[in-house]
Amino acid sequence: MKWFVDIARVFRREMSLIVSDMGVMIFFILLPLAYPIVYTLIYNPEVVRKVPVAVVDDSRTPESRELVRQASAAPAFGLYGYATDMAEAKRWWADRDVYAVMHIPSDYAKDIARGEQANVTMYCDMSLLLRYRALLSAMTSLQIKLAEDITEQRIDLYAGSMSGMAGLPVETDNHFLGDTQQGFASFVIPGIVVLILQQSMLLGIGMLGGTSRERRRANGGVDPLEIQDASTFSTVWGKALAYIVFYIVPTMFLLRYIPVIFNLPHHGDPVDYLLFIFPMVVASAFLGQALVALIKEREYVFLYIVFTSVVFLFLSGLTWPRYAMSPFWTAVGDLVPATHGVEGFIRINGNAASLYDNKEPFMALWILSGVYFLLAMLVTWWLRRPGRASAKASAQRSPSMAADTMPPA
Amino acid sequence: MSGVNIGFWNSVRREISRMGSRPLYLIMMVFIPLGCALFFISLMSSGLPLKTPVGIVDYDHSQLSREVTRNLNSTELLEICSKDESFHAAMEKVRQGDIFGFFVIPIDFQEDAMAGRKPALEFYSNMTYFVPGTLSFKGFKTIAVTTSAGVMRSELSYVGLTPGQIGALLQPVVITTHGIGNPWLNYSYYLTPSFSFATFALMIMLFTAYSITEEIKSGSSVQWLAVAKDRISVALAGKLLPQSVIFIVVMLCAVAIMFRFLHFPMNGSLLMFSLAVVIFVLASQAFGVLVCSALPNPRLAFSVISLLSVLTFSFAGFSFPVEDMYGAIGIFSYLMPVRYLFLIYVNTALNGFDTYFVRYYYVILLAFIPAGYMLVWRLKKACLKPVYVP
Repeated sequence: MKWFVDIARVFRREMSLIVSDMGVMIFFILLPLAYPIVYTLIYNPEVVRKVPVAVVDDSRTPESRELVRQASAAPAFGLYGYATDMAEAKRWWADRDVYAVMHIPSDYAKDIARGEQANVTMYCDMSLLLRYRALLSAMTSLQIKLAEDITEQRIDLYAGSMSGMAGLPVETDNHFLGDTQQGFASFVIPGIVVLILQQSMLLGIGMLGGTSRERRRANGGVDPLEIQDASTFSTVWGKALAYIVFYIVPTMFLLRYIPVIFNLPHHGDPVDYLLFIFPMVVASAFLGQALVALIKEREYVFLYIVFTSVVFLFLSGLTWPRYAMSPFWTAVGDLVPATHGVEGFIRINGNAASLYDNKEPFMALWILSGVYFLLAMLVTWWLRRPGRASAKASAQRSPSMAADTMPPA
Repeated sequence: MSGVNIGFWNSVRREISRMGSRPLYLIMMVFIPLGCALFFISLMSSGLPLKTPVGIVDYDHSQLSREVTRNLNSTELLEICSKDESFHAAMEKVRQGDIFGFFVIPIDFQEDAMAGRKPALEFYSNMTYFVPGTLSFKGFKTIAVTTSAGVMRSELSYVGLTPGQIGALLQPVVITTHGIGNPWLNYSYYLTPSFSFATFALMIMLFTAYSITEEIKSGSSVQWLAVAKDRISVALAGKLLPQSVIFIVVMLCAVAIMFRFLHFPMNGSLLMFSLAVVIFVLASQAFGVLVCSALPNPRLAFSVISLLSVLTFSFAGFSFPVEDMYGAIGIFSYLMPVRYLFLIYVNTALNGFDTYFVRYYYVILLAFIPAGYMLVWRLKKACLKPVYVP
């Protein structure tokens, strides 16, 4: 029963260390609270609207004006103005007044009247693919709409026998799953919240570990605020439990309330996604303790962990799909709990998948929990190994340092 | 030599010996930034993720439906990974993440199409993943429309129309869209440079703040100033210039890898762009100094820098345009140096504009440098009486 009591003692001590450390509280509370809100506000306009477009109309006919009117009806198309020629349009583009130029050739109306194919050219700025994508899909819809309108008239003209037929013989019907409005926030935020969950844990745990290592150095290899007689096993578990318990509220907030507050897609059953995310929280609690091996001083978490957020975001496959990654990067991504967490949570949240549908990432998260638990044991044992205390004690620095680096517990 | 000069060179010498003293310096200044750049380059080396895994549900099993299936599989955008018997089976595969979309051919499709009863081809794209969702949509749409056109083509030729007339009937107006500067729709060309630059900005600012506040934390800041004859400007110059040199070399290395060896598009002048990179390094360092001067404490300075830098990846508008963000959020993008380097990159390297059109971005980047040293008197005060708050 001693190990059980020890876990409880370590748990209590770790909790008080968390609460008394301002830096850790920022990571554990403020970060999961404020960051997703800021992120969602950035992307909340969801779609690109009114991309300014210059029109060079060499046709100058009712048909060409009708084309521009119809194009302007698309939400993505914002008519900036008519340029006299391509040179002027190009100048507007270089001055960043427009992001696309639509060129209507002089024989546009003539071609339509003759029953020939008329050509319109759109030159699109590629500095952001999202703008291009919005304009391209607007132009595709416009092209289909024009085909329906004009073809109907022409069929009547050519073949009276087929006049009953309007438009194309086969209809196409597209549906978007998960993020039905193709909004950017609806796509990116469900992945980001999972990543924030993991990263804020790693940062906070790293900072606690780094502070402990500073105390250890200042006190001859012994951290005075640690439960000395607890075994490595009890220490790792006690700390992990403290982090897991602490994260109940942030997890609920991130996974449940952020989508609800911002009206993002949120279809999954809370039981499914909370059960699913549990092993990710466990794996992160252990991974954080393993990473303490790198964190010599409390501030090192910023140097070693902050930049990984971007790397982990890409490895999770949110921006660049995992099936297109090389086997090496897929394997590296497999080692990050958030990769599986993002995959599974997006499916549950966006596509209403069940826990069973996510059995693969779920199992992967438990395996990672096991691996990182062993790693955390190893690191904790190495930091607390007995030889270290005596070696350090002989080379002890001034004892007054201890008081400086100790948080007011 | 004057006293200031000696102070400067002694500061430089002191900084170089500090750099050599621990591996952290090398890791932060070289390995992490360069490693991240190589990571982005390697991860997205194919440019566009082709062969999106998709499924097909064929309720018809006719000659025409098999032809549609073959056509789907032959586009470079799609790869049919599963053939399912029902909508629900395909939906299950989407939920399990095996496929990112599926195509449904209705029952009696061929018969209805030939009889003019207008059957509908349906397709579903999973937009929870933006890129595979968009690409599968594009592939499905192309095949659906060409199938429809194919049916119509054969019908119209029965009534005696010429191929030219048929083409004009099917597509009376063709709108051709050209992507200027990146006709391949290469994702890497616009994500790799911008994300690498933003990572550089993060590491440069963090490192600047680290190297300054570390002196305050350990109490060596008094000695640091003493070496520079108690002149904060000399002390900062001696500390930061050796770092500038290393960061500039590392960053130009990354630029050379991208634009010289891997042939990323560079439609403007590489020399002018390299100049922008040099100014950008100095501007980022100045930003780091500004934060340290305002908050001469390692944790607080790092917190502010990390917060801003990580958000910069979003609000600098690398993927979602700043013009479409809420005004109150969008203005933040203009506070960070990397936004201007990004604008210089897309406008010169991709769009091929002359430097004239991006002149203001250079000016603003330059303006970051003096602006960063506005509050150094605060920093000096903190260095003379170092107080460490954990």
